[in-house]
Amino acid sequence: MTLRRPRPTSVALVALALPSALVLTACGSDDTTATDTGAATVTVETAQGPVEVPREPETVITYDIGVLDTIDTLGGEVAGVPEFAMPDYLSAYSDAPVVGSLFEPDFEAVAEIDPDLIIVTGRSLEAMPDLEEIAPTIDLSTDEADYLGSVERNVRSLATIIGEEDAAEDALADLQADVEETRAAGSEAGTGLIVMTSAGEVSAYGAGSRFGLVHDVLGVEPAVDIDSATHGEPVSFEFVAEADPDWLFVVDRDVAIGETSGESAEQVLDNDLVARTTAWSQDQVVQLDPMAWYIVSGGLTATATMVSDVADGLAS
Amino acid sequence: MTATTPSPPPAPSPAVRRARRGRWGAAAPLLLGASVVAALALLSLFVGVSDVSPAALLRGDSDAWELVAVSRGPRTTALVLAGVSLSIAGLIMQVLVRNRFVDPSTAGTVDSATLGLVVVMLYAPGLPLIAKAGVASVFALAGTGVFLALLSRMPLRSPVMVPLVGLMFGGVVGAASSFVAYRFDLVQSLLAWTTADFSGILRGRYELLWVAGVLAVVAWVVADRFTIAGLGAEVATGLGVDHRRVLMTGLVVVALVSAVVVTTAGVIPFLGLVVPNVVRLFLGDHVRRSIPWVALVGAGFVLVCDVLGRTLRHPYEIPLGVVVGVVGSVVFLVLLLKGSSRVG
Repeated sequence: MTLRRPRPTSVALVALALPSALVLTACGSDDTTATDTGAATVTVETAQGPVEVPREPETVITYDIGVLDTIDTLGGEVAGVPEFAMPDYLSAYSDAPVVGSLFEPDFEAVAEIDPDLIIVTGRSLEAMPDLEEIAPTIDLSTDEADYLGSVERNVRSLATIIGEEDAAEDALADLQADVEETRAAGSEAGTGLIVMTSAGEVSAYGAGSRFGLVHDVLGVEPAVDIDSATHGEPVSFEFVAEADPDWLFVVDRDVAIGETSGESAEQVLDNDLVARTTAWSQDQVVQLDPMAWYIVSGGLTATATMVSDVADGLAS
Repeated sequence: MTATTPSPPPAPSPAVRRARRGRWGAAAPLLLGASVVAALALLSLFVGVSDVSPAALLRGDSDAWELVAVSRGPRTTALVLAGVSLSIAGLIMQVLVRNRFVDPSTAGTVDSATLGLVVVMLYAPGLPLIAKAGVASVFALAGTGVFLALLSRMPLRSPVMVPLVGLMFGGVVGAASSFVAYRFDLVQSLLAWTTADFSGILRGRYELLWVAGVLAVVAWVVADRFTIAGLGAEVATGLGVDHRRVLMTGLVVVALVSAVVVTTAGVIPFLGLVVPNVVRLFLGDHVRRSIPWVALVGAGFVLVCDVLGRTLRHPYEIPLGVVVGVVGSVVFLVLLLKGSSRVG
């Protein structure tokens, strides 16, 4: 393992970092094009504080399907998307120009589009300094510790940018109502454990994690305390059996990334140890929409799906 | 380093002479070693999230017994099988290639098996485990064959060249896997498949490893031929051994073992490299004499690493591949530094 070859990504990053570092030093000052356009700008909240961006930009590209989801839900348009198998409701973007992967920009494609605004999130955050060279770039990552709050902030920011504030407020009010209703059910449901299966292995997620919405917002009591870690904690089936949750919330990562090769989450969990849990024996296993929870999370429609996943699961 | 050049068979290496004189002479140490490994296996049975105590088992607690049958037993068995078979595969490879820095992970075998798995995942994801292992084996065999063909076409004067060629070849094959995984957004999945992790091992999910176990026994039975084949084609043929056939047998064993372990658990780095070398330090190059020790040390090493992985962050787990990678690289370094002064 020590003599691992360099991953193509890191080579590419180094190759990119060199010239951009030169450009940075050459420019010296922060005079980006955004500030030049004076009156046509608007200040919005981002994950990195308030930022001034162009108002109603003509071409927006994003590396986040959640952002795409929100813009699409609000009635806006996106000119460039990451290469990814889009969920059905975003299938209109299946043929949209591709500007890279979820993680990495394809700078030539970006230059081709010459966007007015670029939106990155956690997965693509590393590319932000390079993208800023091309166009105003904002970070609309969601905050795992305050998922709903950050989603609302991002929805409002995007609405302001594309000029759809009213639609956003309506949607957020609906979402809020759903959340309240589900929280009432959630806080009486008993204990829950969130697990993600990937390539036959299981990780557990707790409050404050990327799937923490279940506990933090929707009020389901965690069956065990789990340190919040983005990639969850790899656990054995014994851990699941020992946690003995009343409800098991399952994200099938293989499905989320369009990788249906291995065992489905159901097959992975269908074993003698998980069978010991209250959740399994009472048939209280909630399959969460992997696309919404793992990929599009943070988006307006995806968040509504996430809430209704839990609501429907608890109701069944 | 000099020990990598084959020593004439009748004259035992200094290490062997030391061994005969010293502590490792008789069968008693083997029994001692076996009991240490048995103790480790027992310990491994009682480490985990759920509460299984020897007392509960003696009481006849049905819950505890079921847990042992479903989870602990299979896991310990899988660890022992993987540890034994991979270490023996490493030993065979080192003897056949006549280079002590070679093992399935430094000769492209594991990388080829992984590539096979990636291909299966892309084109025939629904295949049952045994078929996946089959495809991975074919790839592993082909990859190892290419490696040997490369070696035979190269003027190899320095023993360091052999693993270098292997590492480069493995790098090329691995790059192919990475590229495919990258193209299809599977980089994280590739990492998950390839890092050995026994946390998901339960009854019904590890049985394929028995194939590797059986192969290890086969290797044991024909151990002498490997020793002779390890002397080179001419000497071996002169001694009446069909060099090609023994070589093929060895390759098949190595490829199948690597493929089966990669398919069921993932890549366990360094194991096949470190264990035979540690044993050789004490016992020299005699395969039949070393095999039981290689098996014991391999099993013990994997058991210790897995117990560590289960306890360090209890109740969460650190994948075995990571623990072995860390511990193994340290052992390997020590080996390199000490070994050169000792053997050389």
